[in-house]
Amino acid sequence: MTEYIGEHLWAGQLGQALTVISLVGALLATTGYYLGTRTAQAEWTSLGRLAFRMHSLAVLGIVGTLFVMLFNHWFEYDYVWKHSNLSMPMKYIASCFWEGQEGSFLLWTFWHVVLGNVLIARAKDWEGPVMTVFATVQVFLAIMILGVYVGDVRIGSSPFLLIRDLPENIGLPWTAMPNYLSAIPQFADGRGLNPLLQNYWMVIHPPALFLGFAATLVPFTFAIAGLWRKDRTGWIEPALPWTFFGIMILGAGILMGGAWAYEALSFGGFWAWDPVENASLVPWITLVAAGHLMIVNKRKPTALFSLFLLTLITFVLVLYSTFLTRSGVLGDTSVHSFTGDGMLPGLLLFLLFYVGLSVVMLVPDKGQQRFYAAISLALLAIGVGLQVQVPAILLFGAVSIGMLVSAYRQAFLSREPEESLWSREFWLFIGSLVLLLSAMQITFSTSVPVFNLLLEPFDKVFGWVGEKTGSTFFQGLADAKLAPPGEAIAHYNKWQIPFAFIVTFLIAFGQYLRWKETDVRKFRKQLALSFLVSLAITVAAVYLLKYRLAELNLIALFFATVFAILANAWYVPSILKGSLRNAGASVAHVGFGLVLLGALISTSRQNEVSRNTRNMDLRFLNDGFNNSEDILLYRGDTVLMGQHFVRYIAKRQEGVNLYYDMDYFAAVPRTYSVGDSVRVGDMLFVAKNAHQAGPNFLGDQPTNWTPLEEFTRRELWHTREWSAYAVGDRVFGLAPFVQLNPRFGNVAEPSTKHWAHRDLYTHVRYADLTLASDTADDTWMPDRLYEKHVGDSIITPTAMAIIDSVYILKDSVTKRMLGDQYTVYAAQLRVRDLYQPDRWFEARPLVIYANGAPVMGKAAELEGLRIKYGLATVRFEEGPVMGHGGPIPGTDKPRIAIGLNVAESEFLVLQAIVFPGINILWIGCVLLFVGTGMAVWQRVRQ
Amino acid sequence: MEKNADHTMPSYPNAQVPKGMKRSHIIAIVIIAVAIGALVGSLYDSSTYADLEQAMENPGKEYHVVGTLDRSAEIVYEPSLNASLTTFTMRDLTGKTCRVHLAKAKPQDFERSERLVLIGEANEHGEFEARDMLMKCPSKYNEENKVNG
Repeated sequence: MTEYIGEHLWAGQLGQALTVISLVGALLATTGYYLGTRTAQAEWTSLGRLAFRMHSLAVLGIVGTLFVMLFNHWFEYDYVWKHSNLSMPMKYIASCFWEGQEGSFLLWTFWHVVLGNVLIARAKDWEGPVMTVFATVQVFLAIMILGVYVGDVRIGSSPFLLIRDLPENIGLPWTAMPNYLSAIPQFADGRGLNPLLQNYWMVIHPPALFLGFAATLVPFTFAIAGLWRKDRTGWIEPALPWTFFGIMILGAGILMGGAWAYEALSFGGFWAWDPVENASLVPWITLVAAGHLMIVNKRKPTALFSLFLLTLITFVLVLYSTFLTRSGVLGDTSVHSFTGDGMLPGLLLFLLFYVGLSVVMLVPDKGQQRFYAAISLALLAIGVGLQVQVPAILLFGAVSIGMLVSAYRQAFLSREPEESLWSREFWLFIGSLVLLLSAMQITFSTSVPVFNLLLEPFDKVFGWVGEKTGSTFFQGLADAKLAPPGEAIAHYNKWQIPFAFIVTFLIAFGQYLRWKETDVRKFRKQLALSFLVSLAITVAAVYLLKYRLAELNLIALFFATVFAILANAWYVPSILKGSLRNAGASVAHVGFGLVLLGALISTSRQNEVSRNTRNMDLRFLNDGFNNSEDILLYRGDTVLMGQHFVRYIAKRQEGVNLYYDMDYFAAVPRTYSVGDSVRVGDMLFVAKNAHQAGPNFLGDQPTNWTPLEEFTRRELWHTREWSAYAVGDRVFGLAPFVQLNPRFGNVAEPSTKHWAHRDLYTHVRYADLTLASDTADDTWMPDRLYEKHVGDSIITPTAMAIIDSVYILKDSVTKRMLGDQYTVYAAQLRVRDLYQPDRWFEARPLVIYANGAPVMGKAAELEGLRIKYGLATVRFEEGPVMGHGGPIPGTDKPRIAIGLNVAESEFLVLQAIVFPGINILWIGCVLLFVGTGMAVWQRVRQ
Repeated sequence: MEKNADHTMPSYPNAQVPKGMKRSHIIAIVIIAVAIGALVGSLYDSSTYADLEQAMENPGKEYHVVGTLDRSAEIVYEPSLNASLTTFTMRDLTGKTCRVHLAKAKPQDFERSERLVLIGEANEHGEFEARDMLMKCPSKYNEENKVNG
């Protein structure tokens, strides 16, 4: 046994021990609460409570231990080494904590512990059954971070593993070195936190999201408890505030993710329908639906089955989302999913267990429950034992759906008369179902990689059917390698905009409906004003934002969101008489409407102002390519971009960030005076009278400009192009930057100018990262070396240079200054501007040789072309040129070979997008949060 | 007035709906229809993973192609020609290589990329025209844990 030096073994051992204690505690709590509920003996419940407390302390201990390890930089631990380093600011230590798979499970567990203890204190007689279910989830989560081996199978993944104990390192020679920590340089510092995540959003976004996830467990446990106690409505009252708390926190977590993407990441927007984003959105949607059905069923049980289904499915979808993002099944489809790490089987069992539990509890009959449980266990055994997991899962799914249908028919089929068409409950029910459909559509499209896995075992069957029937559909299924929709955003928008339209429309009038029956005349009167004003606003917006008839779906959604906002805002003074006590719903609905309206305006009318106006048209290559993404800015150049002129000033380094300073100038209408001449294309014009330029030349030309009949080429080049705008005063500056990180790769981060009504979002797409130093000049891009002969030409993107001759400078001044041992060569170049092929320039770069080697050079800079030619080498060659098949005949004349360095003026490539009305979205987020919070507070007080 | 109000208040009693075709049934049918529509729609809109050979056989059809960057071939990105065009060679998982025109600026650390997913179509000249690309770098999300003694 080697005595290792410098390790802090106690921390890992403590962490592992606490993990085991937390697992045992959760198991004991499950047992205690279960028996307490079954036997109604208070002793068992007390035991359960005690065990949950023990579990809670253990989890807090685990969290504390991991923090201590991170805080002290104990890099012998894999988790610490992978997720932190010495140079990282301490404020990001929390980000390190939950960056990895294990840490984020811990965060989730931690929130469960917090919520579980609140439940113990407040759930009263629901404590027993609720905490039974609650504790089972903690068992699963404890197993996820257990990290023990049973045979060759690793169960869970522990954050307390030493690097030398990793399976891939066991037996390596260095693990036997007692002083490996000091001897191997890699252990001196950790790998550090991904720079993308060194951001305050990463400090607040995951806790909010996981608290939201954790909150979905509470209604789930109440629903199961209700089914268990055969009290199918009593659970709704206590679960209701929790549900809206979950809606509030999960919603905030999701929107924070969007804000993070927008503010600090260069994704070019706040929502991209990425699978990982979708996976967190879907449970929120079903939770909202469940919450609204709770309000309905609390009054009168009319849609109990839907309520149970939505409440149960929300937590199942949280598990499914965990499965998708952590098991590695998303693989190539998402930019930010975790890799698998062998978590798939565990996560799958976690998911399927709660699917099974939900179905079992919904089935009303004991015998059927046993039957279903037996089939499920048999399928589990067959699936694992015979390695036919996918058919077993599909069969399990089919049996589960069958059981659900049968449960519905037996226990939930309502014999009561249906609700009135003009009742609030009816439309709340419809709205919830639309939300469910919306969630299903997102889930389907996000699950495309899962479909591949599910279809895989049937490749042969599909192939056989396809061959027999000649059906291309089945043949396609046989080698199905489905990829997510190529145009993801268009795909989701196509489906989700109609759903959003229905939901927002329902939000607009839902609250004006009464329970049971509404006085339609009154209802119409109350809504008429909001309706008409919304209509007027929509007409104005269609005109102002230039919506076309083909965008009817956007126009409809615009109308619905405005209607929802106005009607809900109007509800407070008109119906609630200004009382804010019950205004939570209205405020939240206004917020939701604003979120959708802001998203609608800013994304449908986002304007990529960084248009490629300069050079080659990408559509030559492919019709589908667009030119409107990136703009090239030479340093010092002032270019019109959108409503401003932009000038790239210089770059500077601060810490690890390389900032690219840009100034933005007002674009003021240009005034021309009599006699001014301008160039338009290949023509010259002279101003007839003093005038202010209009928006385009064609409009101005007849009244203000006379074409010049005769002019020289030289005049043409030297005349400025006509432009509508002149550069005005500096208005603001932006500094998008690149975070330099050799380990993780450099990351470009945006810089955004915020106005009240729009944002200008810019980020660097491509730039030179070298800074000026004593030896290097950063006003030029890096040199590119061309090996050529006299008589050859060099074609670069903007210019063609012909090497006319190379000669030795022999003038007396040079000679006298340098001395005899130096030879000065000059290359004579003729350079042609490829964008104005009539323009020719001359360049004469020099190089000084001493004793047969180049020592110094003087480059020729052509400012008009923004190009620089430097002479690097001059060599005299004799003998034939060697081709692929040997010497090329007729090439044995003596030649001069030169190395020529060509550099372009320094530039960067920028993407700039204007997002109009994005502040509507952020205001909506705040109102959504505040309104939901008000509703929660109101329910808690009741 | 009272009478009138009663008259204009349409409370649709269930008797108006034919027996056996309750409103809930209609809703259920609509829901199921839309759900199936959404499922088929997501399958219909979904793209296909393919190798280069398959993409070349069907020029103009959109595919996702998974592969790696061929580092031995030249990566051409000339912003002064076009800032949103990168040309490079990719090797798919079967080992076949192909010249790719990507309509995007050259990503940061493109040379270090480990895995590429191109979204686009082949053209008639045996080149691939990619509209978009997902790129995974070795250390960004995956684990880089090579401590050699």
